[in-house]
Amino acid sequence: MKRIRRARRTLAAFGVSIALLVGGCARGGEDDSAAIGSGDTIQVDQALRQRLPESVRERGTIQFATDPSYAPMESFAADGRTIIGFDADLAAALGSVLGITIEMVPADFSTALDDLGEGAFDGVLSSMTDTVEREKKADFINYFSAGTSILVRRGNPAGVRDLKDLCGHAVAVEQATVQEDLLERSQKGCGARPIAIKTFKNNADALLQLRTGRAVAVLNDFPPAARLANDSSSRRHYQLVSTEQYEPGLYGLAVAKTNTELRDALHGALDRLIRAGVYKELLLRWGLTTGALQTSSINRVARPDGGS
Amino acid sequence: MRLGSIGVRGGSAGSRLFAMYAAASMVSVAVLGAVLLQGYRDDATSHGHDQGLAQAAVIEEMAVAPALDGANLAMGLTAAQRDRLQVATDLAIFRGSVIRMRLRSFTGQVVFSDDGSTAGGVSVADPAFRTAIAGRADVAFVPDAEREIGTVIRVLQPVITGASGQAIGVLELYLPYEPTAAHLDEQMRNAYERLGTGLVGLYVILALISWSTTRSLRRHAARHEREALHDGLTGLPNRAAFRARAEAALDAAGRDGTHCAIVLADLDRFKAVNDTLGHHAGDELLQVVAGRLAGVLRQGDTVARLGGDEFGLVLPGVAAADAVNLLVRMRNVVTQELVLAGEPRSIEASFGIALYPDHGTDVEELLQHADAAMYQGKRGTAGVVLYAGRGTGQPLVTPAELRRAVERDELELHYQPKVRLNDGEVSGLEALVRWAHPSRGLLPPAEFLPAAEQCELMGPLTEWVLRRAVADQVEWVAAGHPWTLSVNVSAANLLSPDFPRLVAEVLAEAGVAPEQLILEVAETALAGDLETITRAVRELAAHGIGVAIDDFGTGPARLSQLRGLAVSEVKIDRTLVSGAPLDHVDQTLVRSMIEIAHGLGCRVTAEGVETPPVRRWLADAGCDEAQGYLFSRPAAWPSVLDRYTRQDCDHRVVPQVVIPGAEDHQSPVPQVG
Repeated sequence: MKRIRRARRTLAAFGVSIALLVGGCARGGEDDSAAIGSGDTIQVDQALRQRLPESVRERGTIQFATDPSYAPMESFAADGRTIIGFDADLAAALGSVLGITIEMVPADFSTALDDLGEGAFDGVLSSMTDTVEREKKADFINYFSAGTSILVRRGNPAGVRDLKDLCGHAVAVEQATVQEDLLERSQKGCGARPIAIKTFKNNADALLQLRTGRAVAVLNDFPPAARLANDSSSRRHYQLVSTEQYEPGLYGLAVAKTNTELRDALHGALDRLIRAGVYKELLLRWGLTTGALQTSSINRVARPDGGS
Repeated sequence: MRLGSIGVRGGSAGSRLFAMYAAASMVSVAVLGAVLLQGYRDDATSHGHDQGLAQAAVIEEMAVAPALDGANLAMGLTAAQRDRLQVATDLAIFRGSVIRMRLRSFTGQVVFSDDGSTAGGVSVADPAFRTAIAGRADVAFVPDAEREIGTVIRVLQPVITGASGQAIGVLELYLPYEPTAAHLDEQMRNAYERLGTGLVGLYVILALISWSTTRSLRRHAARHEREALHDGLTGLPNRAAFRARAEAALDAAGRDGTHCAIVLADLDRFKAVNDTLGHHAGDELLQVVAGRLAGVLRQGDTVARLGGDEFGLVLPGVAAADAVNLLVRMRNVVTQELVLAGEPRSIEASFGIALYPDHGTDVEELLQHADAAMYQGKRGTAGVVLYAGRGTGQPLVTPAELRRAVERDELELHYQPKVRLNDGEVSGLEALVRWAHPSRGLLPPAEFLPAAEQCELMGPLTEWVLRRAVADQVEWVAAGHPWTLSVNVSAANLLSPDFPRLVAEVLAEAGVAPEQLILEVAETALAGDLETITRAVRELAAHGIGVAIDDFGTGPARLSQLRGLAVSEVKIDRTLVSGAPLDHVDQTLVRSMIEIAHGLGCRVTAEGVETPPVRRWLADAGCDEAQGYLFSRPAAWPSVLDRYTRQDCDHRVVPQVVIPGAEDHQSPVPQVG
């Protein structure tokens, strides 16, 4: 992630414009192309923009909270301030379609939904899995699919091969994540040797535990786990136990339940980006195409029990 | 000697070249040194920077960031964070490992400082601060604010507190530079020393290479110049060098208003040496002469070999008298006897002088005049001849002209009678060759015989004279006058192995008895290859042909030689004869000669008899025959015939044919000195 520059955001916007342009040409007869427009900049979809709340159109800026410790979804750039990643690019693309600026602001993952409810932000875009539990606090616009992977130190010194192997070991996870829930549920199979679940306020702090040997594993969504195991800056330290993804779920862009206008406008914009191919292009850029959705939905929890 | 000047000239050019090389090497070595030193300085600076950055990074990660976990600098620090930070940094501040430390928010606010102050620090607008905000560290050497002297390392870098990489503010650190600086200074000093030694060594090597190269070039150039300007055989300057030096000398003389003599020298009978003794002997002779000429030169004079046996001299700053004196001295040295091919030989040389500016102002003109003077010398007046001006100096007879003269039959024979002193009767006629030159009138042999000597015309010329004279003799014998015929021959004729046979053939063809012919050989001719000449004379005598020694008493012949030569007649030279009646010594000499000649069985003829007293004295002294103006000047034979036929009783005739400037004496051999 260090190699990613601040210019990424600009590039992302540019990439979106190119993708829109290409998509427009490929599907010249369809309505989308006219709506997205052509040229160097993304044409604002006025119809979608009109669906934005009046106040948002006036401000021209909305803020999405994110926990930038989850590359390649969201992370700090080298300057320690700029937030980059697929979520950041997606936010920029959504803003372009709606004719507004969407800022990504760092926040604690565990309190983000509560803060959203209190109006601290306009949305949460932080690789947050849509769950029944969370749907009680906010509406989720689903935009990505991923399950959980087990990350261990390279060489796998504890010999972890499955979730059950975690019994009797210290495992670090980020606070208030679906992974924490997963571990809690796995305790049932451990009997007398429970998992020592250590939670941290962000994913980087959890990884620090694994790096320094204070935990034998970290549970992450598959994309950031795969990145850690493959990126040249971190592969010396980490590896995946297997390619299996536990309890796949849908990521959702959380919007306050009271703000349906914004939710629908964002959903419409995402739908437009998916159909125009911009969404695919952004996934490709960050190496995330395995989690691509064909269509976007709202509050569609993947599993009936809501656990993901 | 001028020979040295080439070396000097080449030397100064070589020194200039070497100086240029040395300067060029110096410049490049200096540039190299400057570049390397700059590199070292940059390396030292960059090393200091890197050290500062590394130190700051460690301080930030190990002391500052852990103390600030979860801090939001915009809101200031909590008491706990401040305490942790102080505990983490106090010792470094106290020990001086960190001189000053400020923790600043992105807006520039001083949230924490080592001394508790919230003032000071780098401006937010400073590029260094902007760099740190942008997430990169900035390092610089800045003056130590507290001490007024000295330098400290200032580092501004983002504070990244957690593992997620979030920057929360800017850390402003001042680190001591002295230890680093001292270390770097030491390194630099070492680098200077090594570099200095290396570069000096390099320069010395370059200088040596330059020196060696320029020396080779200089030697090569000097050798090349020497080869181009010197004669290989004698080592003297060649014609081209001679011309260059002559021109330079004339230029100098023109500037200084002094004289300069251009001299041409030529060996006499060099060709004979080459022909009879071989080219090796000729070369040896030239080398000896070159050495002798060079040995007599003054400082600044030049002697050059112009080709063949011809030498040229440039004598700057000499007037006429000096030049003649110098050359007479030189000639004496050059003509000293030398042993060549095991035989002692005498050398004769002619010197012609032309003076600048009296006889010309350019080299070409002076050379022509010197040449004219030299040929005049060859014609027998003197060995060293100063050009006497255009008025008296006739244009030279060239060999080519003479050859044409023979072809066009421009030569003619005059005869001078020999008279018996006891009865006054004509006993014989001496044939004297004359050249009816189309523009210059009748020329005596002295005018053109040197040219004949020069180009091997002597043989054909003598043969022509012989055939014509014998033909004339046949006529006068037919007319009832059984006079003998005397013909002059040169040493060159006698040296030719075929000559005696040729004479015998000519006589046989004309039907003339050999006794009727007398060949006259100048006494000076006996100085040559005596053995060959003796053999030739004997052969002639064996044919019955008479041989006379001409100009006896002037040359080098030893009396003993006469005995072996089978000579039938001796002709006493005019210089002795004319003074005999008055000069006691001459009288004694002439009497002795007559006595000796008679003792050897030779007839004695006196030359140059012009007055009756001389004739009477000679008759009294026992001389057999006489020849001279008293009896007749040389004339075409019919007129001689007429005179003696008509005035048979009166022998005291006034000559009818008078040739201005001509003598009744001739020598086929050039008179030298």
